[in-house]
Amino acid sequence: MAFAWKAAGLTYNRYIAVASRVVRRSLKEDKRIAAERRGESELRFAKWENGKQGDIKNLAQANRAAAAELAAKASS
Amino acid sequence: MMISRAARPALRAGVAAAARPATLNASSAAGYATLREIEDRLKSIRNIEKITKTMKIVASTKLTRAQKAMNDSKIYGQTSNTVFEKAETKPLEADGKKTLIVVASSDKGLCGGIHSGLTRKVRKMMLEKPDSDLVVIGEKCKAQLSRSNNKNIVFSFAGVGKDVPTFADASAIADQVCLLPSDYASVQIVYNKWANAQSYDATVVEAFSEEAIAQSPNFAAFEIDDEVLANLREYSLANALYWALAEGHACEQSARQNAMDNASKNAGDMIQRFTILFNRTRQAVITGELVEIITGATASEG
Repeated sequence: MAFAWKAAGLTYNRYIAVASRVVRRSLKEDKRIAAERRGESELRFAKWENGKQGDIKNLAQANRAAAAELAAKASS
Repeated sequence: MMISRAARPALRAGVAAAARPATLNASSAAGYATLREIEDRLKSIRNIEKITKTMKIVASTKLTRAQKAMNDSKIYGQTSNTVFEKAETKPLEADGKKTLIVVASSDKGLCGGIHSGLTRKVRKMMLEKPDSDLVVIGEKCKAQLSRSNNKNIVFSFAGVGKDVPTFADASAIADQVCLLPSDYASVQIVYNKWANAQSYDATVVEAFSEEAIAQSPNFAAFEIDDEVLANLREYSLANALYWALAEGHACEQSARQNAMDNASKNAGDMIQRFTILFNRTRQAVITGELVEIITGATASEG
């Protein structure tokens, strides 16, 4: 069984993150605000090479970029 | 105070004229100085006490929320682990493959030895498996581990610990970990396990690799397609991370509450001691002044 989102280069976690975001956004106004707070993530991360810390990047953006890269690979 | 200080040079001259021993003069001069010093010290300790008290209150309000999140996530994580228990999944014996150690700490300090406990545990694990890779979540453990094991760190995450960790955090981290090029025999998540409000210990929770899941004895009972297996692995990793982060967060808040409670108590003790010392010194200074005035008066009369 092949999944459409897998073919598009999404990981499972990314897939459920997108799905949960959609659900949260379709909630009623008062509940939506409370729910959307649970979906926030302010993580930053850095790659380490040979014991040196690399650039600090925003994790959400990096994940999006990685997904786009995988998607490009999957479609070609 | 002001009058006595203004009168001091004249007094000192009078004392010198009376040919008193020099040592007495020096000690009384020191007495004046320490009175001022003690006062300043007292003021700063009082301020510190105020700060630690406030931090304690903040920590205890946060703790109730963190505990709630921890209990929820615990059920969540345990349910997700039931699959592996039923399948009797065991970590693969390392056959040349590396182990990945994920350390779940946080960015903030001032909470006792909670982060160094984790670091110590990780260092012990690194001694057994020196080629393991490290993913460090939180600035505190990053700072500690980068001193000893900086060659092993592949990722570090920052920005956790401000609030109760969300599943979005955990899944984002899990995503990055899954994207790592090397294939790991097992992923071990080190976090602080909540024992009770006073104690916690660094514990390891295992997130299994695909192969480990596929090779588990009761795996056939679940009828999982091979393709779906990767999803399960990613999802269970995110689950385990979420659990570890939430429990670690609750432990941190409770540790901070304790640490700040102790700090306030110590500050209270110090304030008491310094108040007594202050009063005693003040009295000594007054007595000293009286003695000097009286002796001066009697000397000039005679």
